[in-house]
Amino acid sequence: MLTVKILGSGCANCKKLEAVSREAAASAGLEAEFIKVTDMKAIMAYDLLSTPGLVINDKLVSSGRIPTQAEVRQWMGA
Amino acid sequence: MSYALNLLNGGAGNLAAYLAAHVLLCLLPAFFIAGAMTALIPKASITRFLGRTTPRHVSYPAAAAAGSLLAVCSCTIVPLFAGIYRKGAGLGPAITFLFFAPAGNIMALAYTGSILGAEFAAARFLLCLLFGIGIGLLMALLFWRDDASHDAQTDTLFADQASIGPAAIGVLLSLVALLIAGTLKLWPLTATVATVNLPLPWAEGWQATLFHWVPFDAAKGEEGVSVQGSLLIVLLLLIGATAWKGMENIVEGANRWTWIALGLAATTLLVAALRLTPQAGGLQIALTGRVFAVALTLWAVLRYARRLNPDDWQAWLWESWRFVKQIFVLLVVGVFVVGVIRQLIQPQWIQTLAGQNNLQGNAVAVVFGVFMYFPTLVEVPVARMFLDLGMHPGPLLAYLMADPELSLQSILMIAAVIGRPKTAAYVALVAAFSIVAGLLYGAWVDGMNPLWLATGLAAFAATLAAALAWLHHRQQRALQPL
Repeated sequence: MLTVKILGSGCANCKKLEAVSREAAASAGLEAEFIKVTDMKAIMAYDLLSTPGLVINDKLVSSGRIPTQAEVRQWMGA
Repeated sequence: MSYALNLLNGGAGNLAAYLAAHVLLCLLPAFFIAGAMTALIPKASITRFLGRTTPRHVSYPAAAAAGSLLAVCSCTIVPLFAGIYRKGAGLGPAITFLFFAPAGNIMALAYTGSILGAEFAAARFLLCLLFGIGIGLLMALLFWRDDASHDAQTDTLFADQASIGPAAIGVLLSLVALLIAGTLKLWPLTATVATVNLPLPWAEGWQATLFHWVPFDAAKGEEGVSVQGSLLIVLLLLIGATAWKGMENIVEGANRWTWIALGLAATTLLVAALRLTPQAGGLQIALTGRVFAVALTLWAVLRYARRLNPDDWQAWLWESWRFVKQIFVLLVVGVFVVGVIRQLIQPQWIQTLAGQNNLQGNAVAVVFGVFMYFPTLVEVPVARMFLDLGMHPGPLLAYLMADPELSLQSILMIAAVIGRPKTAAYVALVAAFSIVAGLLYGAWVDGMNPLWLATGLAAFAATLAAALAWLHHRQQRALQPL
């Protein structure tokens, strides 16, 4: 069971990132819990300079861009 | 009933005029430039100058550059602001970044230039840059003690090194050339090279119908819809429809619709660069120098874009499309509403309140700017409306300085990051500086000797430099054990 956090204030890129990671998890057949983090203080707790940020199992794997599904699958360890 | 119709007509007319050729030639490239900046300029190429150990004469200009190059979207502004403040160069550069980002980015400048004129864009850029750094320095002076004690985290966040690839630079420069070729009103671009007459008998009748649908009053600065304008609106709708299919999943690769949408965008730019005049029995097409300049720069963009790797150009297209989705809709609605409101405001009100370049006029403009919240870029058509209604350019600039920087929303967001006392000081400084900027620009428009103004600005810069030296001295003393 993976924990996937999407860091971002709800702009278009954050929604896109969530869609990409959900599809990545589904296509790899992984079970994952998705949490959207919109609170600025909580976001700044991770070291990132721009949203959207992707956190998998409490580790920041990407920020400031939208990764491809293949990349996300790799980070999920599938 | 006819009153309501009149209002709606005002909105539609305003909207149609904004979709005219000169605005499109500025906005369309600006969206692509904004997308390219977000996707192709690695953040680390600028943020590495914003670390805690960076000397001030580097960090303040770098903060302004970050505002201008990286922060076209509010998604980037908040985290970067908080990051620079808590973990990087500190309060001063963070404030400079925050102040400069909404006014100094490429979209705001290009749009200001095409709607209000190049002089306004230049004044907005220069004064925002100067005062952005000034306000940042003053904030650092006021709160110097807090700055010494902020988050003691390491500098690694700002230590990344990255540079921009040659292909990305080529794309950016040719896009900027495209923007200039499309908007500059100078000789080789405006000259007519050749004319072609198309035998389209319906052109003249269509123009008459358009003027009937959207009546306009040239004396009020309204433009009406031309045959060319209607053609461009059709092209825009087609781009919208194809882009939805071609750009929405661009991250996973391009499809047929992507190329159609891009081809349509290029066609739109070329058509906008033509001059179409309906005549008796036909349509005269004038090939201007602009058409060739636009074609040449488009070719340059394509040439460099082909050298980008797929990840990069896909990210570029996605970011550009995202800006279109985010901003264009707001802009269309905003411009429409401005057109409606314009029918309701009496020119006398504006002339009494801010028709002259004095303290009261500038103060009114700033207060209005702070309490009104307009979404990204909508402040520009609003400013155009005020200008047409007789507002003096000085207060207008004061309004343009204050409005994007300060709104209730942004004040709340800043307060969450830096706390209330600092936010109050920031708001007061922005208001004061905006009034000064308005007075300066207004004086210049009224024909004051530029030498005097230059002397005044130089004195201001010198005072800041002296204050900075004093701050440095005091910080050194405070840090040394007695």
